[in-house]
Amino acid sequence: MPSRNDISSRRKLSQAPLWRLAWRRMVQRPLQYILMICGVSVGVAMMVSVDVANHSAGRAFGLSVEAVAGRTTHRLSGGPSGIDEALYPRLRKAAADIPAAPVVEDYVNANELGETPLRLLGVDLFAEGPFRDYFPFGEAGMEDGIIRLLTDPRAVALSMELAKRYGLSLGDNITLVYGGREIRAVAAGFLVPTDALQQEALEGILFCDIATAQEMLGMHGRLSRIDLIAQDKGDLAAVKAILPVGVTLETAEAQSNALRQMTAAFELNLTALSLLAMVVGMFLIYNAVSFSVVQRRKLFGILRCLGATGGQLFSLVLVEAAVVGFVGALFGLGLGVFLGRFMVGLVTQTINDLYFVLSVREFAVPAATLAKGLIVGTGASVLAALAPAAEAMATTPQHTLTRSSLEESSRRTLPGATVAGGGLSLAGFLLLMMPGESLAIAFSGLFALLFGMAMLTPAITVGLIQLASPLTAHCFGILGRMASRGIVRNLSRTAVAIAALMIAVSVIVGVSVMIGSFRATVSGWLDNTFQADIFLSPPSLSAGRVQESLNPEVIQLAAGFPGVRQAVTARQVRITEPEMSRMIDMVAVDGDVSDGSRPYRFVDGERDTLWDRFLAGEGVMISEALFHRKNMNLPPGPISLMTDKGPRRFPVLAIYYNYTSDAGSIMMGRSLYRAKWDDPRITSVALFIDDDRDIGNTVEELQKTLRGRQDVLIQSSRSLRTAALEVFDRTFTITAALQLLATVVAFIGVLSALMSLQLERTRELGVLRATGMTTGQMWRLTFLETGIIGAVAGLLALPVGWVLAWMLIHVINVMSFGWSMEMTASPGLFAEAFAVSLAAALLAGIYPAYRLSGMNIPEAIRQE
Amino acid sequence: MNRVMIVILAAAVPIAALFLLYWPDYAGKKAETKESAAARSVFLETRVDTDAFARATEPGAIEIPADRGPHEDYQTEWWYYTGNLSSEEGRRFGYQLTFFRRALTPPGHHDALSGDNTPSAWRTNQIYLAHFAVSDIDNGRFYHAESFARGAMELAGAAADPYAVWLEDWHATSAGPGVVQLHARTDKATLDLRLKQTLPPILHGDAGLSAKGPDPGNASYYYSIVRQETGGTLFIDGREYDVSGLSWKDHEYSTSVLPEDATGWDWFSLQFDDGTALMFFRMRLADGTLEDASSGTFIHSDGTTTPLKKNDWETEITDTWKSPYSGAVYPVGWRIEIGPVDLEITGGALMNAQEMRVSTTYWEGAVAFEGTRKGRPVSAEGYLEMTGYAETMAGRL
Repeated sequence: MPSRNDISSRRKLSQAPLWRLAWRRMVQRPLQYILMICGVSVGVAMMVSVDVANHSAGRAFGLSVEAVAGRTTHRLSGGPSGIDEALYPRLRKAAADIPAAPVVEDYVNANELGETPLRLLGVDLFAEGPFRDYFPFGEAGMEDGIIRLLTDPRAVALSMELAKRYGLSLGDNITLVYGGREIRAVAAGFLVPTDALQQEALEGILFCDIATAQEMLGMHGRLSRIDLIAQDKGDLAAVKAILPVGVTLETAEAQSNALRQMTAAFELNLTALSLLAMVVGMFLIYNAVSFSVVQRRKLFGILRCLGATGGQLFSLVLVEAAVVGFVGALFGLGLGVFLGRFMVGLVTQTINDLYFVLSVREFAVPAATLAKGLIVGTGASVLAALAPAAEAMATTPQHTLTRSSLEESSRRTLPGATVAGGGLSLAGFLLLMMPGESLAIAFSGLFALLFGMAMLTPAITVGLIQLASPLTAHCFGILGRMASRGIVRNLSRTAVAIAALMIAVSVIVGVSVMIGSFRATVSGWLDNTFQADIFLSPPSLSAGRVQESLNPEVIQLAAGFPGVRQAVTARQVRITEPEMSRMIDMVAVDGDVSDGSRPYRFVDGERDTLWDRFLAGEGVMISEALFHRKNMNLPPGPISLMTDKGPRRFPVLAIYYNYTSDAGSIMMGRSLYRAKWDDPRITSVALFIDDDRDIGNTVEELQKTLRGRQDVLIQSSRSLRTAALEVFDRTFTITAALQLLATVVAFIGVLSALMSLQLERTRELGVLRATGMTTGQMWRLTFLETGIIGAVAGLLALPVGWVLAWMLIHVINVMSFGWSMEMTASPGLFAEAFAVSLAAALLAGIYPAYRLSGMNIPEAIRQE
Repeated sequence: MNRVMIVILAAAVPIAALFLLYWPDYAGKKAETKESAAARSVFLETRVDTDAFARATEPGAIEIPADRGPHEDYQTEWWYYTGNLSSEEGRRFGYQLTFFRRALTPPGHHDALSGDNTPSAWRTNQIYLAHFAVSDIDNGRFYHAESFARGAMELAGAAADPYAVWLEDWHATSAGPGVVQLHARTDKATLDLRLKQTLPPILHGDAGLSAKGPDPGNASYYYSIVRQETGGTLFIDGREYDVSGLSWKDHEYSTSVLPEDATGWDWFSLQFDDGTALMFFRMRLADGTLEDASSGTFIHSDGTTTPLKKNDWETEITDTWKSPYSGAVYPVGWRIEIGPVDLEITGGALMNAQEMRVSTTYWEGAVAFEGTRKGRPVSAEGYLEMTGYAETMAGRL
């Protein structure tokens, strides 16, 4: 057995003692690691919660699509009022080989079945067989069910699970609410799904006979769609041959995709915001790890002397970071799943407000999300630790000497970092300015810009402090000078803290300015656009869109009501834009609810004659969002729409602003709409009241006259505006929540950075105390330093935040939603952000100051 | 301070466990895929009050052409076309095309949702089903299909004048005086025939009132148009045949025609080569005897009829066939003796496998008989329907 000194068998120093060293350090100084874990946790939690919310929404959407699609391969769908029901029997005779099933459906609320909307699905049981096997023919007990559904005009069937949850038995009444009307239905049958997936899918559905659905939804004579099963395209020739104009044949997949993609930008935005938190978290990890390396420089030097290789130290630091990152990520998963429950609610609300009815009953946590959280959490830690680990590797025994060499080297790298930061910022800016529709690229640009700004921070900090040092010296005397020098001297630490705080505060500034500008823009737009005094509409499941229609009696009564100067009707529909095969919202009006005060982005021809030409049917107006979505140029060319008479092209007369739909919307004169679409219904009526009449009184009188009618909602323009802004605020609840979380991450970061910084200076301060510095002076010095850090970060955050806001408003928002808005920022907001930065930094100084004030001076000095 | 680390690690363990818990749950759900077997269902029971339907009680009530159409006040109705065909090269076929109508609720029962709510055009208490079968005798192949539709939206229905009965693309429609066009199609067989009436409608029972049990009202209105000259095309198995032969149409409507203890019936429709025709049905009771109301009609070549009572015939089963699908044993060979018209014939199924396995399982197929009438040799082709062998017919139709 060779001896230990045998040169030929000399081994590397075993790694085990190093691990033990790392562990002891963790045990002895847990606070630092706990903060690091917190940072990672919050970052991961945000990502996981947003992911979970997006996934749950997506899964609910998928299930609802699947449940109603069954084995459907193709669909016939029509314009806003569906398809003429006569097409179905014609189809059955002309293309009998192709299984076809008519469907009449819409969303209803059921008082007895909770708050979430249910899909009332009216089917023809005799056609269902090949499509959806929820009603097994020929099975015992089914005959009764079929008879019941066919003959009882109130009969609905629902899943046993849903009935159980709400304690419903066979024969119980269910009150359905549709368009404000209450419809009594009876639970005539329960479907018992055979597997879990089917069960979930069935839970959002109320089945009934197609006749029942038509009667309940007031859809006499119309079908929502016709489902088809066709193996290959040749089969469909017979169908195509009899297809009336205005009815389109699509694959079932394409149709659901058209709907699904409406929320794509919204979901990407959420993900990007959650990543922002991760970025801030990374700063924190970088800071903590590099600090831990600096603190152990001496130790590492000794280890090198004892034979540890640079590689071993490198892997020590990395593994340490990885372990902390992993533990943090685990906590983050738990927290994220917890937060996800709230997030699902918020996301669903927004999707319902802005896009389509979606009821999320299942909270789904995909394994992929959890795995991603773990990997990103751990990976981010390792990534952030790379530079400090390299620093540890580079530790040479003789370098153990002093801190000064490190600071020197870090100052030497300052120009390099500054140039790199400048380059990165520029690259980010260029990416943002790149024409095209890729949101992912735009967000990469945004992140690059933020990183670049962070890298520029040290240089700017030095400059700022040098500029301000006469002032600090003047105000705070020797302590002021010491504080500012201390920061510059410890730049390797302070710069990271400043950068982290700066990024966090700038995100706060940017997002706040964006939301504030957005809100101001929307509010101004609402004021301009809704000039009419009273609005009548049916109550709707969705705050943003109304699909139900008003009773003609109500319209007549309202238009002829005493004191009504003018009544403007509107029909809101969702139609297909064949070129993009996307769904867009269209409103057909017979007058201008803005009474001429609506602003336009573009008007073709005379502005004064615009509405005359528009109402005469010379063309349509498109919203700005649609203009962006279609990448149109000014002046916009004609737009093609799928009418009941087939695709038609319409000249664009103007581009207007509309913040209710990011899919884009179209305004059309009512006469033109009626000429191209077979749809006499009206969604809402806006009333202009004689000037000498009181609006409040008129609303009351109208309400009195229409008392007992649940199918109409009467609102003054003021309450309409308030309601619209409520929806707006609700939409941004998520953003605000994410912003708050980002601030928490940043605060933890700053806290840990400053704390480490101060604690590291124990010896230095000890010397100062020994040479006569009072505890009060030391408190002041600490607060001065952290205060300067907070002030510098706050100061830097203001322009960076402003740039961020500008980017969010003029690039990201335009790209994701197609909305342009005026950037408005109150000085108060900037002052507030600055105060937050300062307060966070000062708060972070309390603990170190407290620790240091109780220090044992001889021990502090004796350190070496 | 060591404790702090322990607490952190201790907290991490349940979180990791949570993570692992979610994993199999999700993976398991995914693995189930979409092999969704049919859902089971539980429904409120529906009691149909048969007393509220109209009943067949009046002899001589049938009026042609008015009564060719539907009688929605009666619970059940059917238009039955059967026929024996052969191609130019002598290949033999049988066909059945039947439209059934059933009222789910008594007339006037179904109300709309509320007073001011107009009923949907899809709202109906009338449902139709149709059975279509082709027997390729020489090949021993049997094609059969069933189809359902509601009697609304033109999806299915019937009309007296011009005469039509249809279910989606299957139909029997008037194509001129005394001529009816039949069409039915599945992915394997297509039938297109023209039927030409040769005799006036034959009224069964007491001037069209055909008793089905001892109670008055337990009867149907029943008439036939027999010996219709038939020509057209039959497309099966990728080949088209020009066919000709004789068809038989029954039209019957009633409410609750089966006595409680009836288990099924054997129903014969035969068309003889001497220009005559025979219909008779044996209604079997649970105790193995025949219902007294079992009856028949012998149709002379001039269209005059001789009504037959249960005791007017003697039958003897000469052969049976056990269906390998349903396990039911059907009497497919018969010897029949009908004293009043001096007829004695033997014969049976042209092929055994003519079992209709649709929502109800029964046997309906082409048959042939040979024998003597008044001492002279006769042969007949026709159809035999046997129900209640695979499942009891009590309470059905």
